[in-house]
Amino acid sequence: MDHHPLYNTHVKLLAFDFLSLTQTSSSSSSSSDPISFSRNGLLLSRAETCRHRHLTSPYFYRRSPPDVRLIASMATRFETEIKLGVVARVRGKISSYRGDMQITVTDVVIERDPNVEVLHWLECMMLARKVYNAVTAPGK
Amino acid sequence: MASSPMESGALVSLQDLHPFSPYFKQGTSLRVTGKLQEFSVETAIATVVDGNDSLKIDTKNLRELSIRVGSMYQFIGELCIQPDNEAVLQARVGRNVDGIDVNLYHQSLQLLRQFQANHLKNPSA
Repeated sequence: MDHHPLYNTHVKLLAFDFLSLTQTSSSSSSSSDPISFSRNGLLLSRAETCRHRHLTSPYFYRRSPPDVRLIASMATRFETEIKLGVVARVRGKISSYRGDMQITVTDVVIERDPNVEVLHWLECMMLARKVYNAVTAPGK
Repeated sequence: MASSPMESGALVSLQDLHPFSPYFKQGTSLRVTGKLQEFSVETAIATVVDGNDSLKIDTKNLRELSIRVGSMYQFIGELCIQPDNEAVLQARVGRNVDGIDVNLYHQSLQLLRQFQANHLKNPSA
């Protein structure tokens, strides 16, 4: 099945954007990956976000917004670098675990500039208006 | 395990934290930004200010945070309303944000709220 080029792009999303993604059981994909995620009908698989680290746990784990978890596959390395309160830019694959959405992290960059989170919000809003919402989802 | 539900800190300006505000409730999770004006080593209570507004922050859980009076800080925590109706934020996360553009922060926060409200009304707009 052909996907829109945005399918393989790390789309920049705000916290509430994650919560408004639609989870669908996809019959066309393999059984190992039965859930797909869409935003206004547009299928997405990867995302980028910019967040504070909140909780202590065996893996980089943040339950905020309430139903999105960030799980680092390279947890041990990230655990030492990402202290509580640090802001990190995180990229990863959108997935689902027992019904909860999660990001399986593939890349983390620690941000030092205190303005970077604000710039991320502005970029997300601009991209949503000019790119993500301007794309017509297949079949729409 | 750290699986207990914890709310995300709602982004608020200190101006939003008046007693009639919907955020002014016992246990509300908030994220506030301001200049650290006072700090008591005995009580670990800090006072942050933004313009004419101020808020007390209990920093006893932030042992690793280096506190410097006059610097900008951002705190995430739960609001505790005391019997005298004074609010203290029980901070669980704190970071120094010296260099933050406060005007950009406040303006972007307004835009973000507006964008979110519009999006929830009409997701494709």
